[in-house]
Amino acid sequence: MKLPRKKLTASVPAFAMGDIGFLLLIFFVILARAQDDSHIQWEPARMDDVKMAASPLATVTIDAGFKTYLDGKEIAPQEIAGRLTEILGDSPAGQRNVFLKVHKQSKATHFEPVIAAISEAGGDLIHILEPEGETNSK
Amino acid sequence: MKFKRGKMLIDPPACASSDIAFTLIIFFLVCAAVHPETGMSQALPKTEEKSEKREQSQNLEVSITPTSIILNGSPLKPDEFATRIAAALKAKSRDTDKIVVVKSAPQTPYPLWLAVSQAIDDAGGILTLELESEKTIQVR
Repeated sequence: MKLPRKKLTASVPAFAMGDIGFLLLIFFVILARAQDDSHIQWEPARMDDVKMAASPLATVTIDAGFKTYLDGKEIAPQEIAGRLTEILGDSPAGQRNVFLKVHKQSKATHFEPVIAAISEAGGDLIHILEPEGETNSK
Repeated sequence: MKFKRGKMLIDPPACASSDIAFTLIIFFLVCAAVHPETGMSQALPKTEEKSEKREQSQNLEVSITPTSIILNGSPLKPDEFATRIAAALKAKSRDTDKIVVVKSAPQTPYPLWLAVSQAIDDAGGILTLELESEKTIQVR
């Protein structure tokens, strides 16, 4: 007589889906933080007439120590143009936004070479500023 | 006689705690992540080296120092600059004549530079930076 073997089911338990989603979320959050520049200390200059800025392809920051960063990573000013050209690629005009975050105490020696580099790479320059009256150091 | 009703213990199912954590994380991410940025866009046609200066001699020239703004050789106060540059650019009709060459002293503060560049933009000028190129010359 042949005894039928009991079939073993190997299904993923449904209650583990929450854990899987949780781990995936953490994974993507860590990936997103790689381009984050929230660790950079800088204070924006203020101006009356500021507008909401569209999303950028790249962000260049000059911090309170007058160091230059591209997308959160420190970079020498003379290397910015080349890196930006790579990042901007063949993006059409009007969609080549580059945010420039300059610490309000920076001098022309710090920010002019950076502006020149953005211009050389063909970026659409957007100075990130704070509306007059707000006090919010980044 | 009064009967005591037995209390019913209702534990939330443990398998749902990860779902609750997941939903909480999404909630806090949405709350924390989006801080809209404000700014001022600026059109820069190109930057030029000092050697190209001769070709631009008919264009307006602005020199910025930490204490003054000089428009075509005349020192101006910051509030006076906006009206003077607007008047100077009003007479120009061609785009090439609207180029304003800006040269900044090394110690020029960013807010002053921004104010000058905004005044040029508002007046319809095309801002062009003049940078001094650094060259190392070896003397034997």
